[in-house]
Amino acid sequence: MELKLPLSVIGPGEISRLQREITSLEDYFIQAQASKGEGLAPPRLSRMLDELASTNKVNLLDRKARNDTRTGLAKLSETSPTIHLSFAADPPPKALERILIWLRENIHPNLLVRVGLQPNIAAGCVLRTANQIFDMSLKSRFASQQDYLLKLIDGALNERSQ
Amino acid sequence: MVTGSLAAATLAFIWLARKVSHSGPPLPDTQASLDKTAKNQVEHIFDNEFREELRNRGRLHFEKVIGENAMFLQQDLRQTTAQLNDYMRGEIMRTLQEEFKKYEQSISDAKQIALQSIDKTIATIDQQRDFLESQLHTQSEAQKLRIITQFERAMASILNHYIVQALGDQIDISDQLDFILAELEKNKADILEDIKRGA
Repeated sequence: MELKLPLSVIGPGEISRLQREITSLEDYFIQAQASKGEGLAPPRLSRMLDELASTNKVNLLDRKARNDTRTGLAKLSETSPTIHLSFAADPPPKALERILIWLRENIHPNLLVRVGLQPNIAAGCVLRTANQIFDMSLKSRFASQQDYLLKLIDGALNERSQ
Repeated sequence: MVTGSLAAATLAFIWLARKVSHSGPPLPDTQASLDKTAKNQVEHIFDNEFREELRNRGRLHFEKVIGENAMFLQQDLRQTTAQLNDYMRGEIMRTLQEEFKKYEQSISDAKQIALQSIDKTIATIDQQRDFLESQLHTQSEAQKLRIITQFERAMASILNHYIVQALGDQIDISDQLDFILAELEKNKADILEDIKRGA
């Protein structure tokens, strides 16, 4: 089963959490069947799992659907490309969502993103794939513009000396 | 001269006496007496007084001659001395002038050599100074350039660091979304390529 990831599922951490949730749901159903449902409280489903189920139109009460979802998540965990995005500060969910939308529309529909922090980049982000680093930070922009800054300083010094 | 005068006087006297005695044929006795008389007369004429006078005259004449000769000798000596002095003076002057000329020539040569040496030294010093000046100038320019480059790099680094530190996490990521998405768009092809290769 090919799953489509909702925007709330960002990276491998969320996939693992979803897998754990489905496992606990499965456990609940097994226990409920064994104890005829007495004294057992159903586990609270997370919004993420709800969204996954609604996005993929999956009925989690169905055992086969649960198994398929678990299998699909395992497959996604193994096959989905993962990138690492670092920001200067924790990104607000809305902003991260917009970035994720762009990434899944333009790069890969099931792209997983690990979010990290790098306060010294000031602004922008650093994207790291398995093979490469794309430094899209303000720090890198400053570094690339250093020659221009040197020209400005040089000009200012020459102006003062004259 | 005195002796000559005396001898002439004696000869004249003898000639006179013989003349007188040969005027007639003398008798043998007479002859003897005449001889005796002549002898006496000669002794009478040439007595001590006459001899003393002749001696005095001779002495005076001799002294006169000696005096004249001494005067001539003195004059001659003076003249010779003066000539000798002139000659010596001339010789000494000539020698001194030659020596002075040699000395002047030596001084002139030494001066010339010293001047040439000084000129060479000045030229060498000038060359050394020019070389040092150019070397110093080059080094100072290089040092200046190095300091300026170092300063500019340090300044750029300081500015970058300052801006990054000043901004810190003050810029909201929501405000950076356009920048981030633009950067992603710019790197889209590379990211896609890298994802495909990774997959």
